[in-house]
Amino acid sequence: MTPLRVPKQQVAGLLTALLDQYQVIAPVEEEGLVTFGRLGSPEEAVLDYRNARVSPKGLLFPQAEVLLTYNLASERAELQEAPQQQERQVVFGIRPCDARSFVLLDRVFEGNAWHDGYYLSRRRNTTVVALACPRPGLACFCASVGGGPFSTEGSDLLLTDLGQEYLLEVVTDKGAALTEAWSEYGEAGEDSLRRKAELQQGAEAALAGRVEIDGIDRRLKGMWDDVFWERLHEKCLGCGVCTYLCPTCHCFDIVDEGSDRQGQRLRLWDSCMFPLFTRQASGHNPRPTGKERWRQRLMHKFCYSVDSYGEVGCVGCGRCVVNCPVNLDLRHVLNEICSDRTHQGT
Amino acid sequence: MAFLCHWCSYAGADLAGTSRLQYPPNTRTIRVPCSGRVDPLFIIRSLLHGADGVLVAGCHPGDCHYLEGNYLARRRFALLKSILEYVGVEEGRVQFAWVSAAEAGKFAQVIAEVTESVRALGPGQRLIKSKAKETL
Amino acid sequence: MTDVAQAIRDTARRLLADGRVDVVIGFEAGTLPLRSSPCFVRDAGDTDRLVWNMTCENNLARYLPRVEEKAGIVAKGCDARSIVGLLTEGRLERERVYVIGVPCQGILDRRSIERRLAGKEIVQAQEGETEVLVRGEGFEVALSKEEHLHASCRACRSRNPVIYDTLVGDPVAEGDGADEYADVREFEAKPAAERWAYFLAQTSRCIRCYACRNACPLCYCRTCFTDVTQPQWLGRTTDPTDTLVFHIARALHVAGRCVDCGACDRACPLGVDVRKLTRKMEKDVEKFFHHKAGMSLDEPLPLATYSLDDPEDFVQ
Repeated sequence: MTPLRVPKQQVAGLLTALLDQYQVIAPVEEEGLVTFGRLGSPEEAVLDYRNARVSPKGLLFPQAEVLLTYNLASERAELQEAPQQQERQVVFGIRPCDARSFVLLDRVFEGNAWHDGYYLSRRRNTTVVALACPRPGLACFCASVGGGPFSTEGSDLLLTDLGQEYLLEVVTDKGAALTEAWSEYGEAGEDSLRRKAELQQGAEAALAGRVEIDGIDRRLKGMWDDVFWERLHEKCLGCGVCTYLCPTCHCFDIVDEGSDRQGQRLRLWDSCMFPLFTRQASGHNPRPTGKERWRQRLMHKFCYSVDSYGEVGCVGCGRCVVNCPVNLDLRHVLNEICSDRTHQGT
Repeated sequence: MAFLCHWCSYAGADLAGTSRLQYPPNTRTIRVPCSGRVDPLFIIRSLLHGADGVLVAGCHPGDCHYLEGNYLARRRFALLKSILEYVGVEEGRVQFAWVSAAEAGKFAQVIAEVTESVRALGPGQRLIKSKAKETL
Repeated sequence: MTDVAQAIRDTARRLLADGRVDVVIGFEAGTLPLRSSPCFVRDAGDTDRLVWNMTCENNLARYLPRVEEKAGIVAKGCDARSIVGLLTEGRLERERVYVIGVPCQGILDRRSIERRLAGKEIVQAQEGETEVLVRGEGFEVALSKEEHLHASCRACRSRNPVIYDTLVGDPVAEGDGADEYADVREFEAKPAAERWAYFLAQTSRCIRCYACRNACPLCYCRTCFTDVTQPQWLGRTTDPTDTLVFHIARALHVAGRCVDCGACDRACPLGVDVRKLTRKMEKDVEKFFHHKAGMSLDEPLPLATYSLDDPEDFVQ
């Protein structure tokens, strides 16, 4: 389908049309921070932003989710499974790194024999309109991990800000379906496409060579006992900032909360950085210190993920870098691993 | 909820019972060895689980069976009460009293007063958990 | 005027070369503008990476209980008080720690700067005498350091370390005695419903990452109350009652021990007003029990002691 042009003054109209039929989630501003929020009106959307502080994974994989409720008040125990998402939602204006994170999450929640209905019901009811990234942030490195500032992976439609207007490109049939109602937007001309290409080139040049991850999985495999791990974790606070803000981190805990009469089974985000993450019922913890936990984090994202899914489990959004309270910089860690000739791997 | 120390306030409550003093039946009592045993988390958890009000009663200062427990508790409770009210939990939901083993009358009176003042505040809402919300 | 950064490096080099300590915990340059990062220097030849400036925002005392070696530590005024706290609570032996005290002019509030720049990204920053020059795409601004001082530094009355083995840098003027708790009093004066609404709004941003707790030197429990499941004191969902109770109980647990270094506040990725509750506790402890945390090794912990005259107007 030919790309369309949406003049900026008409974006509000476009959002209004969407709001009629769908829940629309877009970047919004809350006390000086950009996060993702449900739009009440088009004016709330913030589209000239770098990236939201939190990732959009909470839209498909909420931080706290009721799986089922139980009630033992009557004679029979009643178990009620939480209703799956029925409402259709449009996620509007997320960055290509975040859109790509959905693809990586799909591999986890759908990529094997077990399909996670909770995640998938949301995923299937979600249409993604991504917003290309002409001015990547200082800490961004999407292009180093298989993504790109204008990547369409994970999106159904891609918007590019050309200044006075947006270029709107259809990526999937799902995205095409969204545009069926939009007859008023004209086709984009050659100059629009050329402008997009310029912006794309500029962004990709800015991102070139930011982080070295060539052969990282192989190198990590050979590093299990390396002295590198001894000092890496020292400054780490063991909090959950990196994992919770990360678009692709997906570890969770399942807990029951309630009384003996009634309660709920919940799925909650959990973090491998927390000391108790792997503590077993016996009291034994196979990852007793930050050293084992940091090693695990890197192995999971850059080695096991490659083994299981063929790609590193990182989209290069840079949130962990920018928000780490002690400025433990993943980019530097990766570069160090990949540049050190001693880490040749197996 | 009423947390009563075994040596003084619980004994006082017992005496109120054997003396057939009448007081409102709305209290669920938990006996602790000493008011100093009461962790602020007990009080908070009570509110979270639906208690409309919490009373902690201990020995009068100087009379603690363990000598100092109630003094330490006094400091703790001053801070707990202060922070709960600061956050916006209604004043009067969490109350404290010194009740000795002989003060059956005081016990009945304290229970009656606390029950009335909590009733006037209405059901506790602010710290009652609703179903886990999704992040958006 | 002393070049404090150089003095820190020289001191660290000397300590490591003499074997007086096995590691010096200090700050090194960060990887982003206006950031520095805690570092652990073990080699006398490696001390050149130590820095000192207004971006040194972490409380390094946080690392002391974990580090088993003899450690030198760069300590601002607030950090030094945390060290007194850790010593008083028996978490450290005095002989194991060599305190490099640094009289402190305050730390920059990155969030305040972010707000001032309305989200524009800083690509380069240069700290000057009284201003920070920041540059980004299409802008260059000189920001007043005074204007963007972190709130805990503004309220600070202990800029000069109360404990040290060596003091690097010239003593600085302490803050004046003007109402130290004006921020708390202002909030206390609001109606309860408004305060409640404020806390609900703040806790709705909290993602339970525990950066605040983990940045705090005084939060060293092996199993934090939030992780205790028998009994479960509070849930781990994002329901405001769960999140708010975490913050209330943490404020209670650090009451009388918190020195308001502000590390918790600066660690929070979502800008939650973490100090709102800890400041209230700090004020109450001073008002009720006449105690200020971490000022002296000789003072008992306020909640481990009592006075016959403690307030009890709230007790029937």
